[in-house]
Amino acid sequence: MNAPFFKFGLFGDHLSLVVAFLIGIAFGFFLERAGFGSARKLAAQFYLTDLTVFKVMFTAIVTAMVGVFYLSWMGLVDLSLVYVSSTYLLPQIAGGLILGIGFVVGGYCPGTSCVAGATGRIDAFFFLGGMVGGIVIFGELYPLLREFYTATPMGAVTIPDLLNLPYGFVVLAVILMAVGGFAGATWVERTMAARKGAA
Amino acid sequence: MKMPRLTPTRGAALLLIILGIVGLFAGDPYHRSTATVDTRELAAIVERQVDHVTAAELADWIIQGRTDFRLIDLRTEEEYASYHIPQAERVPITALMDYGLQRNEKIVLYSEGGIHSAQAWMLLKAQGYRGVYMLLGGLDAWTDEVLFPGLPADASAQERAAFERAVQVSRFFGGTPREGAQERSVTSAMPPPPPPQAVTPSTAKPKKRKEGC
Repeated sequence: MNAPFFKFGLFGDHLSLVVAFLIGIAFGFFLERAGFGSARKLAAQFYLTDLTVFKVMFTAIVTAMVGVFYLSWMGLVDLSLVYVSSTYLLPQIAGGLILGIGFVVGGYCPGTSCVAGATGRIDAFFFLGGMVGGIVIFGELYPLLREFYTATPMGAVTIPDLLNLPYGFVVLAVILMAVGGFAGATWVERTMAARKGAA
Repeated sequence: MKMPRLTPTRGAALLLIILGIVGLFAGDPYHRSTATVDTRELAAIVERQVDHVTAAELADWIIQGRTDFRLIDLRTEEEYASYHIPQAERVPITALMDYGLQRNEKIVLYSEGGIHSAQAWMLLKAQGYRGVYMLLGGLDAWTDEVLFPGLPADASAQERAAFERAVQVSRFFGGTPREGAQERSVTSAMPPPPPPQAVTPSTAKPKKRKEGC
């Protein structure tokens, strides 16, 4: 059986919504179990006292990367059918900064705010309200922003293509970066805890 | 020297590094070589007629402003200049392979009648493109059904209701609906072509696609 299942017609448009629903439930469940329903936990990573978010996200990235790489290598996934979103360099840098500021200030990212809202946290509902308001404002201002929104288009590029590196090399590099990152994160957490204890 | 204890975390990290080193020699995961054609599968697709998009469906997609498909006009430059369906990009059949279509895109092909688009469909399918569709009946069907829809004099109420909708669609695309058994008159000229689309992929701004997160 070959993946991506949807592209190979294993299920149609309607069933794909059911599949998306189930995957969404699973995603929310694991975010909640990782402790990401708490703004305190999420914001703690910016104060370097708890880097769980970094570790969970990087674990997910590396697991998915290695999985996709090897499944595709075995011929079980057709990578050329997997959607790669287009890169718009400047607007995406700006968007990333805005999201980051919102994350530090509000304590949530969009997905975790839904998770926190589902567990009944009131701050999450304010965050969600702000998010919806932001979407509306963006939508209304879109004609003014359109030019910037589509500026510096680079198409659907991947790091191996862009840097002209072998795919496997990038996989190894990201793994080493992740493993190094985990070790570094654990060290930072210990150091911060020790400093807190001393103070 | 004391060996560090192998905790689950360290084990996972070690496994990852081993997989990464093996991956270094695993080669390119994209199977870029040409795919073999499963003729039986293709025949089944043709038989089930799931490779078609009707003119009415296409008109709906354009009216809804959907951008999740690419509309390819296979006709000559003169024909394209005199009229083409909005959003269509003109690509000669010989340039189709180098045009930069992605294998994960939904591609709708059309020509005057349908022969060229069927042939182009085959070429793309042989190259492993998945979502390739043909405009059923080609531009001829688009002209008859979308631009100049007709209503026979003895139409039922249901047909009349459908025609009401077709009239609106026709107006949207600058066409002229005709009522009664009236033939398409010579005066009902083709609407002017929509504003030109960029035809070279290098200069074309890639469209935002609604997929992914």
